[in-house]
Amino acid sequence: MSPRDAVGEISPELGAIRQVRRRPKLSWSMRIGGAVLIFYVAVALISLVWTPYDPLTPGIGDGYDAPSAAFLLGTDRLGSDMLSRLMVGARYNLGITLTAVTIALCIGTTIGVIAGYHGGAIDTVVLRAVEIFQAFPGLLFAMLVVQAVGPGIVMLVVQAVGPGIVNVILVLSFVGIPDYLRLARGEIHSRRSWQYAEAARMVGNPPWRVAFRHLLPNSIGPLLAFTSINAAFVALITASLGFLGLGLGPNTPEWGNMIARGQDGVMTGQWWVSFFPGLAILGLTGAFYLLGDAISDLTDPRRRR
Amino acid sequence: MRARMILRRLLWVFPVAFGVVTLTFFMARVFNGDPTELYAPPEATDALRAQIRAQLGLADPLPVQYFHYLAELLRFNLGTSFTTGQSVASDLSDRLPATLELGLVGLTLGIVVGIPLGVIAAVNRERWPDFLVRGATLSGMALPQFWVGLVLIGIFFVNLHLLPGPVGRLPIGVALPPRVTGFLLIDTLLAGEPALWWLSVRQLALPALTLGFSTAAPIARVTRSAMVEAMQSDYIRTAIAMGHGRRVVWFRYSLRNALLPVVTLIGGIAGHIFAGAVLLESIFAWPGLGQYALQAIERSDFAALQGFVIYASLLYVLAFLLVDILYMFIDPRTRA
Repeated sequence: MSPRDAVGEISPELGAIRQVRRRPKLSWSMRIGGAVLIFYVAVALISLVWTPYDPLTPGIGDGYDAPSAAFLLGTDRLGSDMLSRLMVGARYNLGITLTAVTIALCIGTTIGVIAGYHGGAIDTVVLRAVEIFQAFPGLLFAMLVVQAVGPGIVMLVVQAVGPGIVNVILVLSFVGIPDYLRLARGEIHSRRSWQYAEAARMVGNPPWRVAFRHLLPNSIGPLLAFTSINAAFVALITASLGFLGLGLGPNTPEWGNMIARGQDGVMTGQWWVSFFPGLAILGLTGAFYLLGDAISDLTDPRRRR
Repeated sequence: MRARMILRRLLWVFPVAFGVVTLTFFMARVFNGDPTELYAPPEATDALRAQIRAQLGLADPLPVQYFHYLAELLRFNLGTSFTTGQSVASDLSDRLPATLELGLVGLTLGIVVGIPLGVIAAVNRERWPDFLVRGATLSGMALPQFWVGLVLIGIFFVNLHLLPGPVGRLPIGVALPPRVTGFLLIDTLLAGEPALWWLSVRQLALPALTLGFSTAAPIARVTRSAMVEAMQSDYIRTAIAMGHGRRVVWFRYSLRNALLPVVTLIGGIAGHIFAGAVLLESIFAWPGLGQYALQAIERSDFAALQGFVIYASLLYVLAFLLVDILYMFIDPRTRA
């Protein structure tokens, strides 16, 4: 029996309080953001087994078919079905974003915790390096690296999913690392001499254990909230790179790439080719922003009402 | 004390610039490889290739190239662009006014629209104006800028024929006025040509609107949350209890205290905008710094790329310095 359940046994009233505390009311932003994200994941999964038409084959329609019963969202210049391409695109945009953010979160947090807990020379060096790196325009950095389909770092992975995607993911995670690092470093640094940290040290925990098991879990809220906001940013940069045609192949149904392909259509009145991928991006980034807001409302006591 | 801190921040510019230059120098060369192929004719012999490589300054070993570049940099020489054949410094200053003009107008739009929207949302918290503003700011931040630009082009140029198409700062075939400041909105008037001024305003309208939209969104959002926090504080309760009118409480007390995070945000945004909005400029064929950087990357134009990155990072550091100085005027605590 956990201590909390024991409280419920002794006093039913305290038990009721416990329940209220443990299940905070889900905010609207959490519900909407979560629902949209689940919808996108579902679409991405469905696209693995079924799309209305083949997304990569041109000439299914005549080219620039307006939205109709046969092609719900119309066809693009080459006559590929927009809906099918959008569905497969969910795989690219969602997959790239989630992978890049996860990598950045893990690496950035680890270095940040070490720097923040250790302090001293390591801390100074890391902070200075981060400051220099942050003065570097992020999108430019991404463009610079992705433009050159450089030597694959992990050849096995590269062969499995294609060199372009690996580059995009690596670069996007690299761009995010400094932010996670600073955040984790600040959190740990401000808490490392608190009493519970002292207590953990006193009973003989090694430093890494104090830092990662005792201090880090208390910072999970702000980190997760930032991760969600950062995911929105990464999703936007993914689309930007795709729009510039950097990194991925020319026929890749990535949403930014699709917007670029529809650019000529906008000038001649075929708005749907660029329009719908933009809405898809809006849904994805909007969901991440909403989730980020909801998480920080939940975990930041200053924002809790 | 404050002056010393600012001085220290100013001096910090140098290590940052040095680090950024080093990073760019090696990254560009490692990732992009040898650009000789881009500049040599396909039928070139090996001897000709070697000659072109030497002309581009790429024949020496990397460390030699690096120290050569640093030595020139100390003499404020940014080198020569491969593509334009001009000095990078003059290339940058040619394109700077276009970026600054668009950036200033867009940023002003963003501030003028964003802050009032944030205030309106905050004083109507959890009522319909708040939900409207929050929805708008969410979409402003979640939509890619280039898509917003395309949609605006589709509406105002293609469908309504109200504004001109995306062909740069002036319609095709119209000659630029003599260059004085480089800002077309000013140069056209100095040249005494109001018709030309109107043309340039119309060309500027869509890209500036796009920029304004995506700038106003985060500004409104931060203004709102800072206002909400300020209005829940004790001194506001006191001010209301003392019988101050709503307007005084909102603008003199809440907004003034809420401005700090907004100023920080605007500083960061300005640093990004004035470094050239790459995608925006490429959609509107705007001949600014962003396009220059994009072209430098695509053509492996090392000197141009490095020059641009130095400029952008200095701008970033200076933007934050400016924010610090502004703080001294807004926040009396820092004046102590």
